[in-house]
Amino acid sequence: MIAQRTAVPGVAPRSPAPLRQAERTSRALRRSTRLAFALLVILAFVSPIYLTIVNAFKTNAAIASSPQSVPLHPTLRNVSAALSQPGHVLELGLRNSLIVVVCSVALLIPLGSAFSFYISRKRTRVRAAVMAALAAGLMIPPQITVLPIIKILTLIGLDHTYPGLILSNLGGGYLSFAVFVYVGFMRSIPAEVILAARIDGATGLRIWWKIVMPLVRPATATVGIFLSLWIWNDFLNPLLIIGPLTGQTVTVGLYDAVSNQVQPDYGLQFGFMFLAALIPVAGYLLAQKQFRAGLTAGSTR
Amino acid sequence: MYRRCLAGAAAASLLLLAACSSSPSQSATGTSAKKVTLTYLTFLTPDLTAQFWAKSIAAAAKSVPGVTIKQDVDPTTDRDTYAKTLLQAGQFPDLLESITPSLYTSAGLLTPFPASWINANFILPNNIKGNDYIPPTNSQIIPLVYYNKALFAKAGATPPTTWAEFIADCAKLKTAGVVPIELGGHDSFAAAMPLTGALSADVLGSDPNWIQQRYAGTVKFADPNVVAAATKMRTLVTDNYFEPDALSVSYAQSILNFNAGKAAMYPMGSWYLGSIPKNEWNNIGVFPWPTNNGSLVIPFSLGGSMAVSSKTPDAAGAFKFAESWSLNPANLKSLISGDGAFPMLKGKSLASYGLSLSPAFYNSYSYVTSTNTKISSMSWATNDNALPGNVTSDFDAAAQALFSTSNVLGQMQQLDQDWASATASS
Amino acid sequence: MKPLRIRLARLDTGLGAIAALAMVLYLMFLIVPVLLSLKTSFTNQNILFPTSKFVGLANYRTALHDMQLRSSIEFTLALAVAVTIVANAAGLCFAVLLNRTSLSYRVLRTLAFLPQVISGIIAGFVWSWMLSPTGLVNHILTGSGLVSQPVNWLGTPQLAQLSAGLVVSWVLSGFTTVVYLAALQNIPRELYEASSIDGASSRQQFRMITFRMVAPATTISVVICLITVLKLYDIITALTGGGPAYATRSIAMYIISVGFSNDAYGYASAIAMVLLVLTAIIALSVTTVLRRREVEL
Repeated sequence: MIAQRTAVPGVAPRSPAPLRQAERTSRALRRSTRLAFALLVILAFVSPIYLTIVNAFKTNAAIASSPQSVPLHPTLRNVSAALSQPGHVLELGLRNSLIVVVCSVALLIPLGSAFSFYISRKRTRVRAAVMAALAAGLMIPPQITVLPIIKILTLIGLDHTYPGLILSNLGGGYLSFAVFVYVGFMRSIPAEVILAARIDGATGLRIWWKIVMPLVRPATATVGIFLSLWIWNDFLNPLLIIGPLTGQTVTVGLYDAVSNQVQPDYGLQFGFMFLAALIPVAGYLLAQKQFRAGLTAGSTR
Repeated sequence: MYRRCLAGAAAASLLLLAACSSSPSQSATGTSAKKVTLTYLTFLTPDLTAQFWAKSIAAAAKSVPGVTIKQDVDPTTDRDTYAKTLLQAGQFPDLLESITPSLYTSAGLLTPFPASWINANFILPNNIKGNDYIPPTNSQIIPLVYYNKALFAKAGATPPTTWAEFIADCAKLKTAGVVPIELGGHDSFAAAMPLTGALSADVLGSDPNWIQQRYAGTVKFADPNVVAAATKMRTLVTDNYFEPDALSVSYAQSILNFNAGKAAMYPMGSWYLGSIPKNEWNNIGVFPWPTNNGSLVIPFSLGGSMAVSSKTPDAAGAFKFAESWSLNPANLKSLISGDGAFPMLKGKSLASYGLSLSPAFYNSYSYVTSTNTKISSMSWATNDNALPGNVTSDFDAAAQALFSTSNVLGQMQQLDQDWASATASS
Repeated sequence: MKPLRIRLARLDTGLGAIAALAMVLYLMFLIVPVLLSLKTSFTNQNILFPTSKFVGLANYRTALHDMQLRSSIEFTLALAVAVTIVANAAGLCFAVLLNRTSLSYRVLRTLAFLPQVISGIIAGFVWSWMLSPTGLVNHILTGSGLVSQPVNWLGTPQLAQLSAGLVVSWVLSGFTTVVYLAALQNIPRELYEASSIDGASSRQQFRMITFRMVAPATTISVVICLITVLKLYDIITALTGGGPAYATRSIAMYIISVGFSNDAYGYASAIAMVLLVLTAIIALSVTTVLRRREVEL
């Protein structure tokens, strides 16, 4: 459903005519007003995140008196107190979270895209049925499937292990999401390119890897970012599938204080939230640059 | 690009390998002859810190040399739901700290402590059908009404003994421009403190066996006497005696508010005693929730340390550990000063713990030690008088509902329905 | 003919193998668990006991008369509709606003996604703090004179529901903005340029070009918003805990309370199946309607 980039017939593309000084100034003014407006709107929009960061470095008194201000006398007490809580859970949790996210996403991307390519070449009826079955994965609240999943993992001896958790990540809503995104993008791949490669004797795998994957880089970027975030922030599955004896992911470890009702210590809670949000936010900002580079470099359109 | 992807795949598989090798063997609840590992469900509060647990566990573990204790720290705030989920996931802990034992006994999931040991070491047992599943190391009174002496003096109010005096005090405070009662109703358990107070004092005060009768079905929440007690909550709402927007104020914030003198009274469990700032020690007083006729009724709740799972592979070791932990006075010290817990160890006076405590604490504690009418705190007791299933949450929800509806009877009828749903699946 | 087809079929074995693996995994970790849940819904499974008894449709009959289930369904449905509308409107507006190439706009686009980056628990907690009587929102409202008294955002059933809608919309707007931004990238500039030449105002351009050309994105975004809200648990639990008096208790929260507080795991599974069917019906009908719209536009 993506429109072709064709010029409107009969109309030459507009070329910038020489503008008088006044017009140029007013246009610049409009542009900066627009930017200012956008700035205001978006800063207001992300203010809760700003507040989380800013209040993590204020004393409780400062938080109570002026929650919105930048910390005038920043303190590291909240963050260090948060870090020194449940013995070294943070370092251990970090490694565990990274392992789960990297392995899951690294496997979900090829699985999802290969599967999408495979079924996007199939008959409409089959494809529709498969997509419908995959839709279920998006609609189920994880609370429903987690206990049966544990039973299944126990059957194959992978309960309370990281490979077990990673495996269960591969076969649920995350896969559904990946497939839906990829199928959407694959609809726009011209059939002639695929057919030409086939006639040349390329295997499905080769076509998928050499031709399709580069073409659907935006999809890979989208899937990569969303799945990484979701799996990182996933609390319930690591909590129960891994279980308490095997070491925890950082999200589980940090969840405690955030939902701990008995703390009148807002500073400490913001410290925890800051730490919990730090990695996904930093990871997201870094990944943004990577993916944008990938998008522009590999784009063949 | 191909090579890069190959490298990526290699990296991923290396990590996977690292993950496999870093996860310990499956036999966590050890089957080897020498060492047994027992899991212990714990949780963290500002006073029960990781250091506290490490120290207390190490001390108790000395009594069971062949056993390793592995902590399972509950990252949620609902220990019971977490424990049940662990049960379904095949990881029910061997030792469980501060759960609500009545929720598990019907399924025979817990083994009681020997009655002889309980009676020898504790002032009062906390029995469910004659068995005590959690050593009753400490107790609480839920609720007590804490009050700000300075604000009372300013309004010319005095600590009430009857309900009428209480209402009169509220009116005086309001006239003096003081918020009479701090609630913290955003957290439902805090919202229900007045309801707990009223029903404990009036309903259980007149008939301590009311909850047993409710189980038998001979009384109901919709009975007139219960509705009359519940109506008191509604009265406090309509007379505007709670802080403005009380249901939006979190429990954490309510503590800050009361400590800062923003309200005159604070009906709360005795654990609040641990939150009184030192500079307010002489300004905070306490009185029990007033009854209609002024008689003294104390809504009592026994708490304690840990329960032992009936499925544990080493019952002897588990009990030995639990007993050692429970009898260690050092463990109680943190609870007393930080959580306002009243120690219930036999033969150990409060003074013997060597703590400096607020006057409010001593006043509250005197209600425990004196002879008076102690009844079970409605919705907080963990013995035979514990409420079934989800009814505790439903009870709290009813208190919140009374802020937006005047149909007290309807709310009580709903509670009866909730009771029926909760007891249906047992 | 035959040899070609066989040759082509053999060429697909590698790809087919991966596809088969994906299907097996999905079967194992989604389909089978759902079927297990379905099976449990026909029993009286108590969460504390290992065994249970078959009870046929008894749980479903209970669900029919369960008033608390009905309220949570009503709330969740209303929330889904309201949030979907608000988040999509906001997302499209933000996307149009931020669809410029300069560096500043790139920064703003990156920021706009942040509500999706933090976990729902953090989002819920921060907003519950901001919406408290002494919180930032009331601080601004009373300070600027818009209201005379702090608003009881989380204290009355109606306002708490509204607040839940607000917060969930906030979180989902991060998602919809990204979806619409991607869609806007695909609208050829020539369309706008041509219409400018024809004298179209920016509002007309929005209506005639933008709004129509993002139809496929609208379909995806709307359906995902609906599905997400219908199964919501984290954000609301952290924001209101389901209160006051269960006014903001979503279906997923009710399932947990039934299954783990009342121990009625069988009944909870039945409610879960009801939720699944409800979500499927809504997703299917909305997709069909919106797809048809895509084609017509």
